[in-house]
Amino acid sequence: MKSTDEAFSKRAKESFDETVEKLDASTLSRLNRARHAALAEMQQPSRQWSRWLPATGVAAAVLVAIMVMQNPAGFDEPLPPAVADMEILLGEDSLEMLEDLEFYSWLDVVEQENDVG
Amino acid sequence: MDVGSAVFAVSCNGTAATGTRELQKEQQLNRFLAEVERRALRIAEIGVRDRDEALDLVQDAMIKLARHYSGRSQEEWTPLFYRILQNGVRDWHRKQVVRNRVMSFFGRRASDDNDYDAIAAAPDLAGRAPDEELQNREAMQSLEIAVHNLPARQREAFMLRTFEGLDVKGTATAMGCSQGSVKTHYSRAVHALRDQLEEHRPDDVIGGEVRR
Repeated sequence: MKSTDEAFSKRAKESFDETVEKLDASTLSRLNRARHAALAEMQQPSRQWSRWLPATGVAAAVLVAIMVMQNPAGFDEPLPPAVADMEILLGEDSLEMLEDLEFYSWLDVVEQENDVG
Repeated sequence: MDVGSAVFAVSCNGTAATGTRELQKEQQLNRFLAEVERRALRIAEIGVRDRDEALDLVQDAMIKLARHYSGRSQEEWTPLFYRILQNGVRDWHRKQVVRNRVMSFFGRRASDDNDYDAIAAAPDLAGRAPDEELQNREAMQSLEIAVHNLPARQREAFMLRTFEGLDVKGTATAMGCSQGSVKTHYSRAVHALRDQLEEHRPDDVIGGEVRR
């Protein structure tokens, strides 16, 4: 790089550093709070399942749309079981239900066994 | 010591060691963020020309670094942090484009960049004469506007190399491009800035002496 370019970059850097030093107390305080909020994140347990919620919602919406398109005249009829389940899953309590998915699948197996018995 | 006590002691030592490592990592990250946060804020601020927005972007970058990359080695933190921050700035600009389109549809402009003066509000801690201070502010303001108006990749290369002092390799990691691209963007940025700021050169006080 040319020496004139280097001299320009050096002057720009010095000028920039000066504005960094001039940051007011209120801004520094907000930066401090932001840093502590970030550090608190390190102590939070990760919620892996929550990453899949948007994809689950989109998949459910697509499924419902396909079922409606295949049977457009069936709006007055009772919902098929799969759609009814999806409606429950997407309801307000769906998050708790997703967390207890293992429990519900066990419950399903037990009910089937009882039906057979 | 019986077997049960020995197992319990080993288990406790292991837990204590893990706790100590986590505490050390947290202290290291705290030091890193404290060291980088003010420059990061100013870099984001030049990118978006709004201090509140820049603070939000820096906080977001801090949280993402702590959440996803705190386990990485310290040498990786600087380029990773700036990569997250630059992505945030790019997203912000994309949203602004959409916002401006919506606002122009209703016949209004969302914002006027040239109204913003981040330097004007700051007090002069060096205790200089008002004339000299005014010239310094004007020069820095001109530089900020010129840097802000650069194409995005040139702006990123210039700020990361010049303001943050990252080397070519670190800048390439932060920008997600090759080292050759960094050199090209940086060189073009310096030349464009020098050309644009040429008109200020008679009274150029960007970190240097006032020429009269």
